[in-house]
Amino acid sequence: MAGTRTRRGAGSEQSRTARAAALAEELHHECTLLLDLYRKKETFAEELTVGGESLVTVPPLSSQLSPNDMLWRLYSALQQCRNLLERAIGREEAVGNGGDRAQYENQKKTVRDRLGHLLASTRLLLEDGAGTAAFTPEPKNSEIDYPGNGSPFALKLWIYRIFNELEHWTLTASKTLKALHPDGATPKERRTRGRARGRRTRR
Amino acid sequence: GLDRQVRLDADTEAQKLLVTWEDGRASTFDVEILRTELMEIVFNETVVATEDQSTGKHQWNWTSPVPLECTSLSVKVRSRDGQDVSEWSSQQILPGLDLPDNTDSQMYPEGKTVPVGSNMTFCCIVKEGQQFGSLLYKDTLVKETMLSRRTYATTMTNQGPSNPSGTNVVCSDEKKMIITGAVVFVGYPPMPSDLVCETHDLISVDCQWSKGRETYLFGMARQTYYTLNGRNCSKARDSNMRCGLEQWDGNWTLVARNLLGEFRLTDAAELGHRVRPVAPVNLTTPEVYSWNASVGWLWKYNGYERLSLICQVQRTSHSNSSTQTYTGYGLNTVVLKDLQPDEKYNVKVRCGSQKNFWKWGEWSLPLSFQTKMDRPVAPDIWLWMDSDNLGRVLWKVSTTSGYEVTLWSPEENSQQTLTLPQSMYSLPINVTDRWSKVTVTARNPAGVSLPANVVIPRHLPGKNGGKGSGFPLSWVAHANASCGYVVDWYNTSCTHDCNVEWTRVCVSINAFFSFAGNFFAGVRYTFSLYACSSESTVLLERWHGYMQELVPSRTVPRLSPNQEGSDVQLTWDQIPLEHQRGFILGYTVYLTNASHLTLLANITDPQLTNHTVKNLVLGSYKFTVKAYNAAGEDGGATVSISLDPYTYWLIMEILVALGTMTCLLIIITIACYRKRKWVKKAFYPDIPEPKLPGEWGITQGTLDVKPSPHSMVHIVEDSVWDSSKEALVTVPEEDEEGTGDEEADTDEPASLRYYNQVVEEGSSSRGRPHASDSSASSTGSMDSGHTDVTYTGIQTSPDASQCAGGGGYRPQMQSASCPEDPQTGPEEHLQPPVGSFGGYQPQCSWKQDSPEADGGGLDQACLGSPTSVTSSQFLLPYDTSEEGKEHQSSASTWFHNLLTGKP
Repeated sequence: MAGTRTRRGAGSEQSRTARAAALAEELHHECTLLLDLYRKKETFAEELTVGGESLVTVPPLSSQLSPNDMLWRLYSALQQCRNLLERAIGREEAVGNGGDRAQYENQKKTVRDRLGHLLASTRLLLEDGAGTAAFTPEPKNSEIDYPGNGSPFALKLWIYRIFNELEHWTLTASKTLKALHPDGATPKERRTRGRARGRRTRR
Repeated sequence: GLDRQVRLDADTEAQKLLVTWEDGRASTFDVEILRTELMEIVFNETVVATEDQSTGKHQWNWTSPVPLECTSLSVKVRSRDGQDVSEWSSQQILPGLDLPDNTDSQMYPEGKTVPVGSNMTFCCIVKEGQQFGSLLYKDTLVKETMLSRRTYATTMTNQGPSNPSGTNVVCSDEKKMIITGAVVFVGYPPMPSDLVCETHDLISVDCQWSKGRETYLFGMARQTYYTLNGRNCSKARDSNMRCGLEQWDGNWTLVARNLLGEFRLTDAAELGHRVRPVAPVNLTTPEVYSWNASVGWLWKYNGYERLSLICQVQRTSHSNSSTQTYTGYGLNTVVLKDLQPDEKYNVKVRCGSQKNFWKWGEWSLPLSFQTKMDRPVAPDIWLWMDSDNLGRVLWKVSTTSGYEVTLWSPEENSQQTLTLPQSMYSLPINVTDRWSKVTVTARNPAGVSLPANVVIPRHLPGKNGGKGSGFPLSWVAHANASCGYVVDWYNTSCTHDCNVEWTRVCVSINAFFSFAGNFFAGVRYTFSLYACSSESTVLLERWHGYMQELVPSRTVPRLSPNQEGSDVQLTWDQIPLEHQRGFILGYTVYLTNASHLTLLANITDPQLTNHTVKNLVLGSYKFTVKAYNAAGEDGGATVSISLDPYTYWLIMEILVALGTMTCLLIIITIACYRKRKWVKKAFYPDIPEPKLPGEWGITQGTLDVKPSPHSMVHIVEDSVWDSSKEALVTVPEEDEEGTGDEEADTDEPASLRYYNQVVEEGSSSRGRPHASDSSASSTGSMDSGHTDVTYTGIQTSPDASQCAGGGGYRPQMQSASCPEDPQTGPEEHLQPPVGSFGGYQPQCSWKQDSPEADGGGLDQACLGSPTSVTSSQFLLPYDTSEEGKEHQSSASTWFHNLLTGKP
């Protein structure tokens, strides 16, 4: 697959990869913040971990994979993350335990928006490859739906796991995209700017 | 024994266990409940359970402190009759959810809503094969109790309110991984208050209430729901606690309900007692004038037309704010009065029901408008006197574009109008002027105000003299003096804690009164006459007076002279009032000579406090100034002045003289330049032919003459010269290098050499040593004057080359270093150049050149000149330096050119 890539778009592809890597890093930061806010909101002790099987199911990202295959798996995982996040947001709205949690609510929206941008950026990288024709967006995974049977704690734990998945996969995306980008300096510069931008957003 | 087995029915939500058994005879039973797995007794008591007649069964309810799902319970029952007990029934087991076939981890109770302060036991059923770790309530580790192999429980007492998403109880394994958990919602039942229902449109009802205590219960399932007369109030959320009904019922019941309970509120009223009008809309100003305006508005509901309304109109301008109240049926327009012209106003309106007033409605949106401009109001004016004669007409500043002040004189039928700008607010007046009335009007673009008048007082404070022991006063009867007059008086010069006396005079016609009192001579008193009326007293007239005038008790202060050329101006201050002791009538100025006073001036204006004495000659003067009143003059203040020469005149004269001299010199210079030929002829005539009275002796040296155009020496060779006088012999230039003894003739005109043959007539001079004293030298000089030479022009100093080139003619100057000197012996050349030769040294440089002269006279520099010289030229010092030479040369050239008319 990699061999069929066009040379013509190599330069722009590099910059796109760098941009996606910076976006992923910024998103990872936002996801970490969201997880932290949720933990505080629900007074979950920090030392407690979330067990159970992963909500996001993709084949492992081994180093033997071609870059495009790796991007494919990453894209799929991020897609699942976005689906999970959308459902979590919908569930929380339905329960309506809002109260005075403006910062948490804003952070959820920020993560949702940036995840959409990262998905779009990653998809652009995919489209540059030869796998465009085989593109199958949003794989359906019935197991990712809310399993709680109306249990409030099950819902909270499910959302907590989703946010943990988000944190994990955005970190994976950041690392993978950086590894795919031949010039490590550019994403680093972008990271600096990205963090600064992120802080402003948080304010 | 019990006939039939015990039956268990569980209400897990309520954690209630219903135990049913059949035993028709007894009513008292022993009940024992154990946790099946660990065989721990949780209940073992005797209970009373009556038989249900319809079913013939006994029932007993037990509420478990631990959720029934946590672990299996075994129940057995026996009947008791006093000390007699039956056999235990067989154990009936209520299975828990910790049985092996239920492998998942669970926690109970989950999602329960309980009141604040409740005690609750939570149990965690660990997944089959998983190891229990800990239980956390919120984020606090709590102590657990093992209920079964997989079940661990903890009891929380007196729980506080939850956060919006509930309180979490988390069960984790030994690796601190969350196994399971539960949420409990701890809050309060609703408790609203203050239900009030009213109408705005006279038809429907709008009820409001206060939310009351916070329930801490949120979300769709747990929030508080309200119904009003059975209808849902879906919009009653958060802080907006209101609900409406379409028709006025007269009685209302509000029910507030959540999972923990409900609360009821009621209200009842007639419609007419609960009318609260809505806010007026569409405010307009149909008519706006300078001093009033009308404001209109619309009502949203037609029913207001028949409603008696009371409305408040609040108007705000930049200066103040006020509220006025208006009433009327369906009131929708009002007239605002007492507005200020040209003023911006903001108005807003709210209304209430005039009959059975309930509450004010909401304020309308504000409306702004500006009143029209009107002509200004008449200025508020006053006449303020700052002295007996002088005063100012003052008026209060208002928003106008200017003022017009008219001064009137009715007697002369004349007037004078002044136009003053807005910034002016006063006008000085003098009551002694002819004007008797002042009118002030203010103007702006809308017009001119009504006039404001003030009368200038006609009665100046009069003078009055005492007679006998009192003062006679008279005045013209005043129409307003309904209750007579009051006269008061006081010591005029008193300034502090003064004694004022007064008396009342009850007359209604022209009056003449003499007031007796404790008056002192030489003290000024002020009398004021007031007209007494029922409203107030009015000052009519005022007098100043002395009981008896005395001469001033002191002289004029600060008398000082000031010289102004030949005049002297005397200035002084007025005598303080308390020292005047009479009305000062004027001043007398005297010139003091010893003890004799010469009157210079009599000043009859007491306000004038200066006098100029004119045309005085230089010298010292003494002046005396005396003030006088009716009683006489004071002692007189004396001042001296010494008139200085007029220094500036002297300076002027010097300057004029200098100027004149300068002009004269310039004129002379110009005249000399114009008549330079004449001047030359007169003062620098051509050198006459040298006259040789005697025979020229032996030629003893050469005299070189270079006849250049600037030659200063004119040798007049006369053919009729006596041969004996031919002492000047031309020597050829070529022979200059020779011994000088040889005589050679040459035609070279450029350089002539004359051998100066000094005639030595007296042997005394010959035998006299050259190194004689100066007197001898002088004598020698006189003796040796056989050559008469006249020089013209500047004699430039010879330099070394000139010396080397023959030296030229150098009267009275010979350099000992000249090598060409034919008479100079070799030993003389060894002598160093003598510095004293570096300048003009009359009778000081010449030396005996004759061979006979002994050479030891060189160090005797000053010798008598062998030549008598008649010279009118400038003899400039001989400067050995180049600069000096150049300077001399240029200076001499310039002056020569000036005289010769060359540029």
